[in-house]
Amino acid sequence: MAGDMIRAALIRRLRISSAIADEDVKEIEELPIVVRQFPAETPVVRDGERATNCCLIADGFCARSKTIASGKRQILSIHIPGEIPDLMSLFLHVMDHDLATLTPATLGFISHETLQRLHRRRPVVAEMFWRDTLIDAAMFREWLVNVGQRPAPARLAHVMLELRERLRIIGRQDGNNFEMPLTQEQIGEALGITAVHANRIIKQLRQEGIVELHRGRVTVLDERKFLELADFDGRYLHQSPTL
Amino acid sequence: MPRFHFDIHENGCFTPDEDGREFVDGDDARKEAVLTGASIARDAFTTGSAHRIVVDVREEGVPFLKVSITLEVEEA
Repeated sequence: MAGDMIRAALIRRLRISSAIADEDVKEIEELPIVVRQFPAETPVVRDGERATNCCLIADGFCARSKTIASGKRQILSIHIPGEIPDLMSLFLHVMDHDLATLTPATLGFISHETLQRLHRRRPVVAEMFWRDTLIDAAMFREWLVNVGQRPAPARLAHVMLELRERLRIIGRQDGNNFEMPLTQEQIGEALGITAVHANRIIKQLRQEGIVELHRGRVTVLDERKFLELADFDGRYLHQSPTL
Repeated sequence: MPRFHFDIHENGCFTPDEDGREFVDGDDARKEAVLTGASIARDAFTTGSAHRIVVDVREEGVPFLKVSITLEVEEA
């Protein structure tokens, strides 16, 4: 993957959410990035590890999760190309959760030292990344509300709609069709339900003609019903510098 | 690993589990059945869509166990 492709989704995202200026785009284009290929379902950085890099997803999907003593895992967030899911490790050095790939992924590693130097040289870039971690926190708040308060079918619809919205921003949404490469176990872990219950609600949404999830792709069958069920208000994604 | 199927009855409405799922042993399958029943019941009872949930588990096609959860509200 060529260097500009590694950064393409990130720059596209920052242009929309933070209206990044051209001279700062140039800074990001010149950031030294070490690119590595990861297989699916592989740890990138583990809970308790000391991070020395931040990881930019160039291609593929990742998830952050935390596993409790009984071995049960909660998926905390799903990440797509253009995102830096462990940006907080720049200041919070020891990981308090896991970051792993969901699918085969191309990841770009940027050293903390490089990022710190860039931030000191261009404080406006630091502000932009700060904003990015704040949006990340806003997504966590929404995730918490979703898992804590909505019935399971609405929970799934909400996670799907958020993913569609984020994929749209980086140009990865294809009509009423988009990627959601999670197994039923992983959907269960994301929604706080069992894999058997996840299987049931996926079937239920298809039978009710709302949305179909097949082989990691979502097809919306009825847009109006989908929106109504998900109870989605995208404001928390703050996808405009004025929001 | 043995394969278990989890058929679900919500009130009278029956949803068979065609795919099934592998578990290390019967104990893991039992936990999955209890948690699944509880989690479906939570939604069904609070939205009022059903008052009785049954998770009927088959191991390799043979009946294995049944988890039944019924909502009973007694008004004073």
